[in-house]
Amino acid sequence: MKKLEIRGLCVSYNGMPVLEDLQLDAEEGEFVAIVGKSGCGKTTLLNAIAGFVKYSGSITKPDTLGMVSQDYAVFPWLTAGENISFGMTKNDEAVLQHYLKMIDLLDKRDRYPFELSGGQKQRLALARALVSNPDLVLMDEPYGALDIFTREKMQRWLMHIWEHERKTILFVTHSIDEALLLADRVLLLNDGAIQKEFRVGLKRPRAEGTEFSQAFLKSKMAIRRALS
Amino acid sequence: MPIIPILLFILIWEALSSSGIFNAVLFPPPSKVFLALLGLALSGELFLHLSASLSRVYLGLLVGSVLGIAVGLLTGRIRIIDKSMSPLLHVFRSFPAVAIIPLVIVWFGIGETAKLFSISFAVFFPVWMNTHIGASSIPVRYVQMLSIFKTPSFKKWSKVILPASSEFIIAGVRTGIAIAFIMVFVSELAGASSGVGYIISISQLSYRMDVMIAGLFVLGLLGAVTDFAFIRLIKAIFPWFGKK
Repeated sequence: MKKLEIRGLCVSYNGMPVLEDLQLDAEEGEFVAIVGKSGCGKTTLLNAIAGFVKYSGSITKPDTLGMVSQDYAVFPWLTAGENISFGMTKNDEAVLQHYLKMIDLLDKRDRYPFELSGGQKQRLALARALVSNPDLVLMDEPYGALDIFTREKMQRWLMHIWEHERKTILFVTHSIDEALLLADRVLLLNDGAIQKEFRVGLKRPRAEGTEFSQAFLKSKMAIRRALS
Repeated sequence: MPIIPILLFILIWEALSSSGIFNAVLFPPPSKVFLALLGLALSGELFLHLSASLSRVYLGLLVGSVLGIAVGLLTGRIRIIDKSMSPLLHVFRSFPAVAIIPLVIVWFGIGETAKLFSISFAVFFPVWMNTHIGASSIPVRYVQMLSIFKTPSFKKWSKVILPASSEFIIAGVRTGIAIAFIMVFVSELAGASSGVGYIISISQLSYRMDVMIAGLFVLGLLGAVTDFAFIRLIKAIFPWFGKK
């Protein structure tokens, strides 16, 4: 079942076209990565889906969305527990405990974001996005601000969460490695539209060292050639 | 460390006043000012007049701040309210607060209502302006989260807009504190039977400069202490305040 269907999407800023006649689909439970050069319109695409920018064309999307961005956007004046609760329509202690445990912040429930590391804040942002049980999760370069070690740890953690939650995810990244490691499909965004699509044929769950396998490197080369 | 410049200032002042360069009646040394202050304290007058001034300051500060914050949040977030109210508020903001006191006396007399009005009026504008700026410059990502979570109105205002504007609101209230102390002095000078401003005005009639200066220092010190206590209170209640 399709969770997202985009047809003829056009977005302009001050008369400059950013997205032109973009088509995109995402099936239920699918992990779709979008890669492209800086300024190609990846964030604009997510903002259009979220309804933050004006667009023409059609976007058929579910009612409930979740969103995680590079700058976390967790509220600094709410504790970790309160940030997650903010995403709930009704306060439920059991659900809160479940998500705090999932993101390994059960003992930091009453800490404020300034007391958490970058990785902890990003996990908190994801938990807040998931707690409302969204049908589609938009992730805009969520690991862009993290160091390589934390980033790899967070990628593994996200894969583990996705294996359990099986949400439909649209994940924007400028890292081809990250896209191949996480996604079922990788879409190349270029000149305002989806230029090419790559089905990731790697086995799930992704084993340790997948990024060094021949299949991974072959796919990476193909995407790089298409991007250049 | 901060005590050294203060001690130095007092020593230089004592030396200059006692040297005969200045008229010691018009420019009394700090030792004489201290004795005047001690006299007021021991007679109970200081406490009586301080209580009167402080209650006016804090009530005026409260009323002015609550109104300033409420109006600032509305003008900062709701365009139509901003376009209709802000031009008029900017005109009133430009009135020197001290200059409205004669008008206030005609309207309300020289009782407590007049003083409350004067202080609240003066405090309102810096609080309103700062709140308006804070509310209108909330980071876009926070506002987008409100849309993503379909946040209901009360939750939106109380859990996001108000706290997101807090840095600016606090700055506005701190400015309001300084203004409240100025205004209580001016409004007591204009007509009062109690308060530190009242002590200063009657001391002027008998050339008791030592009492006048003592009164001024007490007001200034209380203003600084109020600001210090306010910011400590904010940090105690909101541990996240000022942290990045």
